[in-house]
Amino acid sequence: MKTFKSLTGWAASIVFCISMFHLPAFAQEKPTLSDAEVASVAVVANQIDINYAKLAKEKSKNADVLKFAETMASDHKAVIDQAVALVTKLGVTPKDNAVSKQLLSDADKTMKTLRTKSGRAFDKAYIDNEVAYHKAVISAVEGLLIPESENAELKALLQSIVPALNAHLEHAQMVQKQFSGK
Amino acid sequence: MRTAKTIFPIVVFLAGIILYLPVNFTTAPIAKPQTHVVEIKQMKFNPAELTVNKGDTVVFVNKDVLRHDATETTGKSWKSPALASGQSWKVVATKSASYYCSFHPVMKGKIIVK
Ligand SMILES: [Cu+2]
Repeated sequence: MKTFKSLTGWAASIVFCISMFHLPAFAQEKPTLSDAEVASVAVVANQIDINYAKLAKEKSKNADVLKFAETMASDHKAVIDQAVALVTKLGVTPKDNAVSKQLLSDADKTMKTLRTKSGRAFDKAYIDNEVAYHKAVISAVEGLLIPESENAELKALLQSIVPALNAHLEHAQMVQKQFSGK
Repeated sequence: MRTAKTIFPIVVFLAGIILYLPVNFTTAPIAKPQTHVVEIKQMKFNPAELTVNKGDTVVFVNKDVLRHDATETTGKSWKSPALASGQSWKVVATKSASYYCSFHPVMKGKIIVK
């Protein structure tokens, strides 16, 4: 009985310590979003990748980079169309919010940096950013947008795009290999 | 009586040949060509590995929202056009082939001709 008591006390203090360290950060990373805000974040996140792809089509001459950018433009457009069709059906108007604004201002900075580069340096910077961006979007969709969405159809739509995001990430990593040289 | 006795084995022999031959021709190597379906769903070819007989037809059906295609890996054999959501395309399998989606090269599949 005594051992049991001290064991539970020990376990409780560990749980307490872990939550002390992790809860504040967790709460900061997870803002509360309405479905209208989730929809806005989803549309903005897809539009950003379409903009990166447009820039790549202007600046790159690498066949693999161009083919990848072409797939990004087409796939992310299809996801936006699907999201717009759903919110229209649900009568929801996407509403911008702290998360979507943050995404836009980060993308703005990245676009500025990408514009200063050309040739192989541009290709490498574009693909490196695509790898990082898809990783970030996957974790935002899985860790924030899916748990935050209340409507079942919105949740299902977000879940259905995860395999495509993963395929894009692997594709980007495949193209990235040819620039790993220097 | 004597004639019947000699003729009987001959009749049996001939009947045997006549009955046996067509059976032999229809069952052995020439089976009726079949149609197999490969569904493209959630960024995967399903089934990813398909075993068929030579001459069978393989139909690719895109059940995803995004466009896909099926491109034979060596680039020398066959390639479907871009398949939008809901579209399909078929190929007659003449030899084993690996294939992938040219839009999403991480999507891969295999057709094995027995
Ligand atoms: Cu594909």
